[in-house]
Amino acid sequence: MPIESLTDDVQSVFRHVFADDQIEICEATTAADIDGWDSLAHLNLIIALEKRFGVKFATAEISRLKADGSNVGSLLEMLRRKLA
Amino acid sequence: MSIYNVYFLAGLLVASAVYFWLPGVRLRQLCLALGNAAFVFAFAPDAQSLVAMVLWLASGYVVARVLMARPDSRLLAIYVAGMVAAFVILKRYEFLELFLPRSILDHSLSIVGLSYMLFRQIHVVVDARQGQIESLPFWTYLNYQTNLFGLLAGPIQRYQDFADDWNRLEPLSTDAAEILKTYRRIFIGVLKVVALSEACLAGYNWAAASLLSGGQALSGPFVRWRALGTFLAFFYLYPAYIYFNFSGYCDLVIGAARLFGIRMPENFEWPFFGRNMIDYWTRWHKTLGLWIRDYVFTPMYMAIAGRWSNRAASLAFVCYFFAFFLTGVWHGSTWNFLIFGILNGIGVAAAKLWENHLLKRRGRLWYKQYLQSKLIRAASIFVTFHFVCITILFFPADMHKTLTVLRSFAMKLF
Repeated sequence: MPIESLTDDVQSVFRHVFADDQIEICEATTAADIDGWDSLAHLNLIIALEKRFGVKFATAEISRLKADGSNVGSLLEMLRRKLA
Repeated sequence: MSIYNVYFLAGLLVASAVYFWLPGVRLRQLCLALGNAAFVFAFAPDAQSLVAMVLWLASGYVVARVLMARPDSRLLAIYVAGMVAAFVILKRYEFLELFLPRSILDHSLSIVGLSYMLFRQIHVVVDARQGQIESLPFWTYLNYQTNLFGLLAGPIQRYQDFADDWNRLEPLSTDAAEILKTYRRIFIGVLKVVALSEACLAGYNWAAASLLSGGQALSGPFVRWRALGTFLAFFYLYPAYIYFNFSGYCDLVIGAARLFGIRMPENFEWPFFGRNMIDYWTRWHKTLGLWIRDYVFTPMYMAIAGRWSNRAASLAFVCYFFAFFLTGVWHGSTWNFLIFGILNGIGVAAAKLWENHLLKRRGRLWYKQYLQSKLIRAASIFVTFHFVCITILFFPADMHKTLTVLRSFAMKLF
């Protein structure tokens, strides 16, 4: 899947989960940039991504994506590897 | 044996000074492995307990290897359930007396560091099942589980992080100022445990005795004010005792591990400045809070939300309560920890309920401003701290004494 298309698809999942049509994501976007991206919203996001892309995230991966230093770029990279 | 024993500490410092003279990672691993073995033998009460420990560790290793070769969720579920059942029996949880014959609990087995081994073992088998562990040599696994820097009371390290350091065992810093900082941390840790925590415990015991006595200590004028002051000492000094004791222990083991090339995770981050109970558990015993989040809350919530997505928001509170109820109950086998667990579960679930209530009534923009208000922050910290102190009232195993002190204080006051 081309990177732009994946980013667009992930962005639409973000907009749906956070109920905000104004959300614009890029690789540098972090949890601090999106209102309401707490631990519970993070799980809702993962569930929605699993459904949208038909992939599974491991417990350790979910935790890593929420850790300091992670951003949307880490999420896209992980998704790309799962979809490859 | 105590790790605050002067001979143990001196031995640790001498060993750390010569350790990196050993050539190559194998010799260093051997040195640490001997330390781990000596530690296990020093704390193991008898041969039967050592055999039980070997069986416990071997079962985890075999199951993890099987799951790496053939990921099977049913095997994982059966093994984890079996491990938890074995854990509560080995720890002789008092509530089991309601369901099981006393003879089953009447054993003398005591596996050193079992509570923390349980967490590490669940993490290893779950990660093995989910393809998150690339290689699992028995030598690395054994030393991960018996690592003397986390054996007795954590911090709970992840296998992957341990293996990274274990396969290198190089000095973590060659900067003299950094190394000095590590030694200073060890010294401060020992000071916290042997001086500050002991002083707080002595004060707590004095306050409890004074409130119980009803005699000279609290007689004369202003008796109510004196009773109130003594109660406040009783109320605040036990949390202070636990904090200095546990954070001091963590300073010691995290610092000591660094001297041997192992980075243990941090366990404390200004815990009494948490703005709610969820925040508190990411600051106090952080590695436990994060473990519970990853291996209890996350799978439970995802299973529920995946099946009943329209009810996920309300069922999240049940998950919060259950996860942190378990956190509390895990701390000990006596009845008081059941109350400790219930209070923690209520505190965490209430924090989430309150957040949702504010979001629903006032909206996200208002909530953002609410979080930024210094006054609200100070009030939240104050309320959370006092709620934590209330939960810790039920931390000492002698609940009868705690309740008698509370009753005695109420009688003096009213």
